[in-house]
Amino acid sequence: MTGSRLTFWSIFTLAGLWMQSFMPGVDFLAPGLILSLQEEKPRATIVLGLIWLLLQEGTGSLAFGTVVLWYGVLAALFFFGHWLFEAKNFLFMIILGACLGVLHFGLMNVMTQLQDWRVPPGRVLLESVVQAVVFPVQWGLAYIIYNHLPHNGQDV
Amino acid sequence: MVLFVYLGLFTWNIRTGYVDNLASHTGLELTRWVLTPGRWVWTRVSSFWERYVYFVGLRQENEVLRDELARANEELVGAREQASLAKRLTGILMITPPPEWSREAARVIAHRLGPNAALETFVIDRGSRHGVEINTPVISPEGVVGRVLRYSMSAATVIMITDPNSKIPVVSQKTRTQGILVGRGPNLGMSLQYVALNAPLEKGETLVTTGLEGIFPQGLPVAEVSDVSREGSSLFLNVQAQALFDPKRMEEVALLRKIPPPRPPEATEADDALPDTSTKRPKGAAERKGEVKKRGRNEPPEARPQESLPRKKRGEGQ
Repeated sequence: MTGSRLTFWSIFTLAGLWMQSFMPGVDFLAPGLILSLQEEKPRATIVLGLIWLLLQEGTGSLAFGTVVLWYGVLAALFFFGHWLFEAKNFLFMIILGACLGVLHFGLMNVMTQLQDWRVPPGRVLLESVVQAVVFPVQWGLAYIIYNHLPHNGQDV
Repeated sequence: MVLFVYLGLFTWNIRTGYVDNLASHTGLELTRWVLTPGRWVWTRVSSFWERYVYFVGLRQENEVLRDELARANEELVGAREQASLAKRLTGILMITPPPEWSREAARVIAHRLGPNAALETFVIDRGSRHGVEINTPVISPEGVVGRVLRYSMSAATVIMITDPNSKIPVVSQKTRTQGILVGRGPNLGMSLQYVALNAPLEKGETLVTTGLEGIFPQGLPVAEVSDVSREGSSLFLNVQAQALFDPKRMEEVALLRKIPPPRPPEATEADDALPDTSTKRPKGAAERKGEVKKRGRNEPPEARPQESLPRKKRGEGQ
């Protein structure tokens, strides 16, 4: 990974964490995972995914495992959708965002039930909608910025 | 001839003063009419110039004053922020910890964070390095805020009492009515459960901790009763309450930590001086415990190996 890409991912992670503190319940690092799967080598994606996994699990309040499922299903959806759609298509990202919204609602309800906890369903639903809207927009911005990095001259 | 005319005119003027008057009324007047507009013009020009110079100076002075005002505003904002911080910290310092408990201030650095934040939580800047443990009570000057859910070296996640998964045994301060205070989520207040129908609970009463759960010290204010009503065929009163703190305005909190009771030095001396009457296991008990472990708890004591006991010789003691 070049210096510019390293800087990009570092700033992306910091900005994502800051955004998450302003909009609780929404994952601002998930679009980075998809971008990394599209653009980076598998080893870099695994390292980034592990870092983000630890960050999300550490800051959350559910027992360990929720974010593993979250990122695991996201990666699986990407690979599955990769066969059907163009991987860098914005429409595909909108569908992926919608799937993430549904996944957030389902996963929160299942995991809190498993831990015998209760969460306000209205709040989780709102977070799911925001997640579905934020995901493609953030992916688009990150994709444009990434492809304007030095040594990354591609058609945007 | 000329000299004669001059001297004659001079002498005549001295005697009569006509030429002087003529000169005064013509030359002086003319000069006045010539000089006055010039003076006016000069006054105006010089006034304009002075004002121009003054304005240039004023402009510069204005810029300097603007800079000073900006700096003063900045200092004022800083001073107000410091005053607000001092007020809040004074509130934290005014919290008197219960006996055998110590208090430590902590700053709230974030509220719910990330997709995994299902509960009503916030993050503070104190962790295991500062002695924070699971279930460490967190309070504000108004009352109980929550308890520590998880922690790292220098940060901790605190679950608030307004979370639906938070349940605290409380008692009303005035009528001593007991119940379990349960959160209902953000902006939804709290409910007091299992309050008997004939309980003399009143609206406006303060609910305080009982300490029965072993987490919070006894007598800390938690919430205020906002509504008491009967609901259908329920065996219990429907009691609504409001937390005493505002989660949105919370910037600093205090952590309560139990102080371990110091062992009095004379106790150790007394241990040496007095005979042992305690229920402490005597020496060798550990070995016997090991034996119990070896033979199993359900095994009868008769099965204990006999070689450990002093054997009596045949005929001895008879």
